[in-house]
Amino acid sequence: MVDLELTRIRARKRQRALLTNILVYAVLVVVAILSIYPFLWTFVTSLETSGGIFEFPPKLIPEAPSWRNYAAVLELVPIARQFLNSVIISFFGVFLSVLFCTLAAYPLAKMEFPGRNFIFYAILATLVLPNEAGLIVNYVTTAKLGLLQPELGAFGQFAAIILPALPSTVGLFLMRQAYLSVPTELLEAARMDGASELLIWRRIMLPLAMPTIAAFSILQFVAIWNSFLWPVIILRDRELYPLAAGLLDLAGTFATNTRAVSAGAVIQIIPILVIFFIFQRYFMRGLEGAVKG
Amino acid sequence: MSSKGIVSPARAGGNARLARTLLIAYGFMLPMLVVKAVYTFWPILFGTYLAFTEYNIISPPKWVGLRNFEELFGFGAFAGRGPDRDFWYGLTNSLKYVLVVPIIQVFSIGLAMLVNRQIPAIGFFRTAYYVPVVTSFAVVGLMWGWMYNAFGPVNFILTRLHLMNPENPSSLLSNPATALLAIMFVTLWKGIGYYMVLYLAGLQSIDRSLEEAAVMDGASRAQVFWHITLPGLRPVILVCSLLSTISAIKVFDEIFVMTNGGPAGSTYSAMFFVYSAAFQNFRYGYAAAAGLVVAVVSLSFGIINFRLTRGGNAS
Repeated sequence: MVDLELTRIRARKRQRALLTNILVYAVLVVVAILSIYPFLWTFVTSLETSGGIFEFPPKLIPEAPSWRNYAAVLELVPIARQFLNSVIISFFGVFLSVLFCTLAAYPLAKMEFPGRNFIFYAILATLVLPNEAGLIVNYVTTAKLGLLQPELGAFGQFAAIILPALPSTVGLFLMRQAYLSVPTELLEAARMDGASELLIWRRIMLPLAMPTIAAFSILQFVAIWNSFLWPVIILRDRELYPLAAGLLDLAGTFATNTRAVSAGAVIQIIPILVIFFIFQRYFMRGLEGAVKG
Repeated sequence: MSSKGIVSPARAGGNARLARTLLIAYGFMLPMLVVKAVYTFWPILFGTYLAFTEYNIISPPKWVGLRNFEELFGFGAFAGRGPDRDFWYGLTNSLKYVLVVPIIQVFSIGLAMLVNRQIPAIGFFRTAYYVPVVTSFAVVGLMWGWMYNAFGPVNFILTRLHLMNPENPSSLLSNPATALLAIMFVTLWKGIGYYMVLYLAGLQSIDRSLEEAAVMDGASRAQVFWHITLPGLRPVILVCSLLSTISAIKVFDEIFVMTNGGPAGSTYSAMFFVYSAAFQNFRYGYAAAAGLVVAVVSLSFGIINFRLTRGGNAS
C-alpha cells in the first residue's frame, strides 16, 4: 500500500518536472530565436545574390548561396585594409591596457603607501561619469598633442585612437581583485630572498592572475574591436578606419546595396564571434568577477 | 581590503623606507596615472571650465559665465526665448529611456533563473543570449535597421497581427511616435544577455541550503523567491540597475547608428544633443554645459538608485 502510494507520488513529481522542463525549453527557444534571428537574416542576405531582399515570409536558408557580395564589398571599400587596421589597433590596445592595469593594480593591492585609497577610489568614481562628455576635451587634447599631424601618419592616428582606451578602470578593478587573493606570505618570502618588486610582479603576481588577465583581455578586445565613435570623430583618413567605423561609412555611402553592406557586417563580426566561442569561459568569469568583487 | 604587513613603511628605516615604497608604488602606477590624468581627469576639469565659456577650438575659450546654462534652460539673457528645444527633447527622451531599466532588470533576472539549471543544451542558450552583447553597435544598428525596414521581418509580424496596414507599411523608425520605443527595444535586446550573466553569477553565489531549508519548511516557490532569492540578489541588482540607469541617461550609440536623432528630432537624446552641439555646430562651450547637466542628472540618478536598493545591503 505504502509502496504504491510512493510510486504514485513519484510519478506525479516526475510528470510535473517534465512539464516544467518543456515550458522552460519553450521560453528558452523563443528568446534564442529573438537573439539570433537578426544575425541569421544578415548572414543569409549576404550569401544571396538575386531575389527580393525583403520577402514575406522572411527566408531562413539562402537560395543558391555565393560569395559574390563579399567580392563586391572588397571592391567598394578598402575593407582588407580596414580589417588590418582593426587588428593593429586591437592588438596594441589590448596589450598596452593589460600592461597598464596589471602594473598599476599591484601597489594598489599589495603595498601600503600614502594616497593609495584616494587614488583607487578616485579612479573607481570615474565609472559613474558619462565618459562621452569627455569626447569634446579629448578631441581638443588629441589635436593639441599633435598626434593628428600628417607627418606622423598612421602611427600618430592609431596612437590617438588607442590612448584613451588604455587606462581601463574595469581592468584595474579586476586586476586588483585578482591580486588581493594572492597570499602575502608568498611575496614576503620572495622579498626575503632579495627579489625586486618588478621581479615579484613578473614571476608571482602575473602567473597567478592569468585567468583574470585572460578575461580582461577578451573584454577589452571586444570593446576596442567594436568601437567606432572615437575613430570617426578623430580620423580624417578613411584608409585608417577600423572595421566598425568603416562599416558605418559603407552603410552611409552604399545604403541601397544591402547585400554588400550585410557582407561587410558579417566580416566585422566573425572575428569577435570566433574569439568569443573559443574563450567563452574566461569571458563569463571576467564578468562574474566584477560582480562578486 | 587586505593590506597587512606588506612593504610596511612603519618599520625601522623610517623615511628612507617610505621614500622607497612611494617611488616603487608610483613607479608601477605611472603609465596608468599619466594617461588617466590626460584622458579622464583633465576632461572633467577642463570640460567643467569650458561649460562657462564660448569655445570653437580655433580661438581660446572666452569666459561667458552662466550664459550657456541660460540658453539651455531659457532664463537670464534668454528668458524670452524659452529653453533650447532640442536640448529639452534630448533630456526628456533620456529620462524616458530610464524606463528601459526596470524592464531589462526583470527580464534578465527571469532569464538568469531559467538558465540557472543543469539541463541539456543550457550552454547553447546562455551563449546565444550573449551574442548580441559582443556585437558592435555599428552592426546592431544596421541589422535592426533591416529588421525594422518597411518590408522587413518586424513589419511582417505586425501586419500578421493586424497592427499595421499591409497596403502601406512604414518603418517603426520613421514614425516619430514609435521611433524611440523601437530603439529602446534594441537596447533591451542587446543588453539582456549582459545582465543575465551578472545575475547568473549572483544566483550561483546564493547559499542553496537556505532555499532548500525554506522548501522543507513548506515555503512556496513564490515565497522562496521573494524572501530568499531576491534579497540574496540585492547587491547584484544594485550594480546592474546602476550601470543600466547611467547608460540609459547617456544613451547615444543606438541613436547615432539607427536614426541620427530623427525623425523630426523625436529620438534626440541628451548625449546626442551634446554630440551634435560639439561636432556638428562646433559650439564646444555650449556642448560642455549640456554635458555637465547630463553628468549631474546621471549622478543624481545613481544616488537615488543607491538609496532605493539600500546600498546593496542584503539586510
